[in-house]
Amino acid sequence: MNYMPGTASLIQDIDKKHLVLLRDGRTLIGYLRSIDQFANLVLHQTVERIHVGKKYGDIPRGIFVVRGENVVLLGEIDLEKESDTPLQQVSIEEILEEQRVEQQVKQESEKLKVQALKERGLSIPRADTLDEY
Amino acid sequence: MWHQLPPTASVRGQRERGSTSGPMVSPSSTLIHPGPSKDLLVKEDRTWSQKPNLSFLFQSSGYMSPIPFRPVSRNISAPTQPLGMHFGPMSPSLEPPLFFSPSASCQLKFSHMTQLHPQHQRLLNQRQHISPQKPWSPKVDPYAGLMTRKEKDWVIKVQMMQLQSENPHLDDYYYQTYYHRLERKQAEEELLGGRNKQEPRKLVTPYIQKVESYNSVVRIAGSLGQVAVSTCYSPRRAIDAVHHALLEQVCPGQLHSPEPVLAHHASALLAWSKATWAVGPAGSGSSGLSCREAEDEFLQVLCVRKGKKLTARLLPHLEREQAEEILITITRHLPFLMRKDVLDESLPVLYSPLSQMVGRMTFSELIEVLQELTKPVAGSTELPLTMTFKNQVRLAGRLLREPGTQWWVCLPRTDTVFLVARELSQVPKTTLVEPLFLPSNLLSLFCRYLDKQTIHRLEAKME
Repeated sequence: MNYMPGTASLIQDIDKKHLVLLRDGRTLIGYLRSIDQFANLVLHQTVERIHVGKKYGDIPRGIFVVRGENVVLLGEIDLEKESDTPLQQVSIEEILEEQRVEQQVKQESEKLKVQALKERGLSIPRADTLDEY
Repeated sequence: MWHQLPPTASVRGQRERGSTSGPMVSPSSTLIHPGPSKDLLVKEDRTWSQKPNLSFLFQSSGYMSPIPFRPVSRNISAPTQPLGMHFGPMSPSLEPPLFFSPSASCQLKFSHMTQLHPQHQRLLNQRQHISPQKPWSPKVDPYAGLMTRKEKDWVIKVQMMQLQSENPHLDDYYYQTYYHRLERKQAEEELLGGRNKQEPRKLVTPYIQKVESYNSVVRIAGSLGQVAVSTCYSPRRAIDAVHHALLEQVCPGQLHSPEPVLAHHASALLAWSKATWAVGPAGSGSSGLSCREAEDEFLQVLCVRKGKKLTARLLPHLEREQAEEILITITRHLPFLMRKDVLDESLPVLYSPLSQMVGRMTFSELIEVLQELTKPVAGSTELPLTMTFKNQVRLAGRLLREPGTQWWVCLPRTDTVFLVARELSQVPKTTLVEPLFLPSNLLSLFCRYLDKQTIHRLEAKME
């Protein structure tokens, strides 16, 4: 069977552990079970990994069906090197707390920035509120 | 360690036994050698002795490792050869302990038909050689193989079909150029080096023929009646319309009619008419009709509007002699036809085919026809020609115009011309109907033969 050369197709990636980055910023790790021509993915034993600084936490999510257009990138995880990381795994509660704190800090700094710009009569549209097309 | 294995060792035997996929590796490949038995493989590696249960991998038929086979030794594979020739269940310890499944579905399809970028190949090669240190864990993935081979093939097919192109050099310029250059380089190398011919691997898109034909009705063998065929991609065809242009190209000699049904009728009519009308003018024929009768019959046909239409349509397809006879008949009986046409006014349909005919006729034939026009018909006081001018029949005009200057110049029968010109001038202008074509030099031509008076009158008429 001649499948696409190189990695032009995801067929070769089936049943392997992958890291998938979505457009909303989420990171999913799971076993790629099925694909279709739009690169919609079926991920099995998926885990959502949240990174805050040097720490990360995994939330088990089960089975994901991801619409292809929402995928930014994905890559196969080398199971040997997977554990070989400087990052520190923490519990879910801890990481969610960390995330909340991080979000808070970011929002405050953003607020200050917008305020400062407004005072000067400028406005920078935020990327997430922009229309995508 | 595996990489210490002699290059000749291979698992070809196992591959053949366990193969469920098509042949991915050509027998002529340099990587395959009919190697020693599997026991040799097991024995030679010390690490394997700790795991005797692994031998089942080699024995089980139909079992295919998902792990791509990496070439055992780098010196075997030429730099341009594809990376992974799949060899079946083999050298699992070469692989990192990936999540491993015994299904046939997840094989790395680096078949001999594909071509990887050399850098990519090198990268993957390196990765493999680093990895074999870890002991391999024979974990079996129970969820593997969710996607069946059929489904995978289907996805690939869909993706490949989108790559199909009528003009690959336009659509896929970079790949084509790259591939050509690669081929040329290899040919040169081959010439210089005198090595064995190595074929560059190429991505071959499957050519899937699109079904153009549509048979609206399907006859299943042995069944009674027909089944109407229509799918969501090809709904039922409502009209059996066939494209005109195509027909024209295909059968220029035949009757050109847009509807195939009518074409059938027309061809039948054509045959009939040929048979009927071939008799009269050509002399004695096989049919029982005499010349006169045939002519009468034809005239009767012409009296009817449909008859005129039919004749008009048939004329281009009749043979020359027959067509000429028809023309002569028509012109001979023009007054009669004109009388009959008063209500219908459908004689004009004959203009086009007749004028075309006139255009093709020779000089002498035209003279003949013209003579017919000028011959007085029994029972009429005027010349048919006069009547023609008076009437809406424009054929006369057409006749006169044909075939141009030469005709008038070398006209031996000047009396005919005389007659024509005289009649033209004599007929009061109001009743003259504008001819279809008015040659500009007609007047000058008339000058040669006629007196001044006539010419003046003609001049007035022509304006």
